[in-house]
Amino acid sequence: MKVIEITDVYKIYNSSEIKVNAVNAVSLDFEEAEFAAIVGPSGSGKTTLLNLLGGLDLPTSGKILIDGTDLSLLKSSQLIDFRMRNIGFVFQAYNLIPVLTARENIEFIMNLQKMSKASREERSFELLKAVGLDDRAGSRPSKLSGGQQQRIAVARALASKPRFVLADEPTANLDSKSASTLLEIMEKLNHEEKITFIFSTHDPRVVKMAHRIITLEDGKVVSDVRTE
Amino acid sequence: MIPEIAWKNVWRNKSRSLIVITAVTIGVFAGVFTIAVMNSSVVQRIDAAVNEELSHIQVNNKEFRSSSDIKSLIPAYDKVVAEMMKAPGMQDLTGRIIIRGIASTAGRSTGVEINGINAAKEKQIFTLHEKLIPGTGDFLDTETKYNKAFIGEKLARELNIIRYSITEESLKKLKDEKLPGEISTKLIALKGERFTSDKKFSRAVEAVLLPGEYRKYIYLIKEAAWSYRPGSKIILSFIDINNNQTEAAFRVSGIFRTNNDMFEAMSVFVPEEELRQLTGIPENSYHRVIGRLKDNSLSEAASAYLKKELPGYEVMQWKEIQPDLAMLADMMQQIYGIFMGIILAALSFGIVNTMLMSVLERTREIGMLSAIGMNRNRIFSMIMLESVFLSLTGGLSGMLVSGIVIAATSKNGINLVQYSEGLEAFGYSAYLFPTIDAPFFIMTTILIVFTGILSSVYPARKALKLNPIEALRKE
Repeated sequence: MKVIEITDVYKIYNSSEIKVNAVNAVSLDFEEAEFAAIVGPSGSGKTTLLNLLGGLDLPTSGKILIDGTDLSLLKSSQLIDFRMRNIGFVFQAYNLIPVLTARENIEFIMNLQKMSKASREERSFELLKAVGLDDRAGSRPSKLSGGQQQRIAVARALASKPRFVLADEPTANLDSKSASTLLEIMEKLNHEEKITFIFSTHDPRVVKMAHRIITLEDGKVVSDVRTE
Repeated sequence: MIPEIAWKNVWRNKSRSLIVITAVTIGVFAGVFTIAVMNSSVVQRIDAAVNEELSHIQVNNKEFRSSSDIKSLIPAYDKVVAEMMKAPGMQDLTGRIIIRGIASTAGRSTGVEINGINAAKEKQIFTLHEKLIPGTGDFLDTETKYNKAFIGEKLARELNIIRYSITEESLKKLKDEKLPGEISTKLIALKGERFTSDKKFSRAVEAVLLPGEYRKYIYLIKEAAWSYRPGSKIILSFIDINNNQTEAAFRVSGIFRTNNDMFEAMSVFVPEEELRQLTGIPENSYHRVIGRLKDNSLSEAASAYLKKELPGYEVMQWKEIQPDLAMLADMMQQIYGIFMGIILAALSFGIVNTMLMSVLERTREIGMLSAIGMNRNRIFSMIMLESVFLSLTGGLSGMLVSGIVIAATSKNGINLVQYSEGLEAFGYSAYLFPTIDAPFFIMTTILIVFTGILSSVYPARKALKLNPIEALRKE
């Protein structure tokens, strides 16, 4: 079942006299429970493509359908709401809310969705256990290591059972042990929760674990290989 | 959830928030306390006017106030009294005979208003008897074989009845009032001398003290050196009901002191029966009936009732008798609001600055919040609540501090004795007892919340303009 359909998408930036095709005629589909990595050199358009998939930016032309919904037809407030319900984000720099505890950070999206307290607590403890941090539920981000914070960020991204998770260089700031632990957890959750994971990465460890590798160069898809 | 996050965000940078909160606390305290002090002047003036001079309602013959004619008595007095007792909130009333005359002693004379009163009834309406200066007599209570008069201290000075002298007794009084020993030593030079006027005494004291010492202690020294011979004679001259010039000797049986120099200088109170005999005014005839209500707030209702029921008479409530005082009371409420508004407007700049710093520091975080699904309304609400919490915390602390200080100073009063002459000339007390009412605190709280909301607008707009993609890129 197709979760994401990208059809002939362009993203062109016009700044003064320079025209940049950040994304250039990209057409891709993503199925449920895919574990895909988008790779390429710096400036190849990975982050731009992820921003387009996440509804943070709109294509200059082309179509992006998420579960059949055309993102370009949504108003700004509808887009924010759509992101909240359907897309999870894991950023390079953890981006947890520093004044909330680990559990509260995970529950944040569920709070925005007005889920009941009981449901939120059940889900947050389930995810804390899944990422191996159930004993750190009450800790604020400043008391957690980089790897631990990123695990909490993954748990937060999955809290409301989104259709897919976009992870932009999630292992970039982590040491090798933390990165490996994180990737194992993400793969396990991908398998258990059947949620699609799409990475933008330079990290060979991520590439090694990915079931599908999409290579971008100058905004174009130059290869799309499934390893499983 | 948003309020919880907003409250926690306030305390992210504790020192910065505490600085702003302290500034708001001090600003609100300064504003509220200043207003409490201003309010105390007004409240005390109104209380004094109502309790000592005017009471709540006065009924006169329609011609009386314009003509001051002794013949302008209240017709059908018993009917007036009966109707007045039916007015809403009426507690008690008394009648007065009022004539214009001259009070004189050897070499001094001045125009006065002579009030013929029933002392026992007056005590139910006014508190003037409580203003009796100790040691000067009583409030027309004692039966004597001579005519007696109760006069103000200002009038006593005008008529040269008051004397000043430095005696052992006055030096002891000054010691009890904690006058420094070296000042008392200097005053001994004046011992044995008797000064017949305030002016002469003040000059003598000025000659023995340094200028700073004189300014600081002259009021205290005058109080201690003040003396008067009970039963001093004054002559009251007036026109009786048959248009005959009449004069009679009265003995001063007591001297009162209020905060209103004009009232003290103009008013003489004598027993009603003595004045009736001298003027020929018949029994049960009065120029004015004065009513006291259970509460000040009933003045409007009582006045409206009596104006309707007594159309042939002049019915006035205290606000109409002294409209300047009424206007002052009404105007002060608006002035308090404007004053607090100005203080909070000034403080709001500090809050805006702090909030702006806080928002710009959190560019990346705000971008992230928008990315993961926090809509614009929620982001705006979060920032607005942070601003409101900041101002409320400082504002409520300021009100708490001012409440404590007002409670403390309202017990003992603030001593402005060095300015007493000027204040009392306008009818204001030299001892201020700061006071503020609950509606003012509610108004201030609303203003503080409003300040918080207004202060958040610019920073919140800055936050909403952030593009999540660009915000997330920021280090």
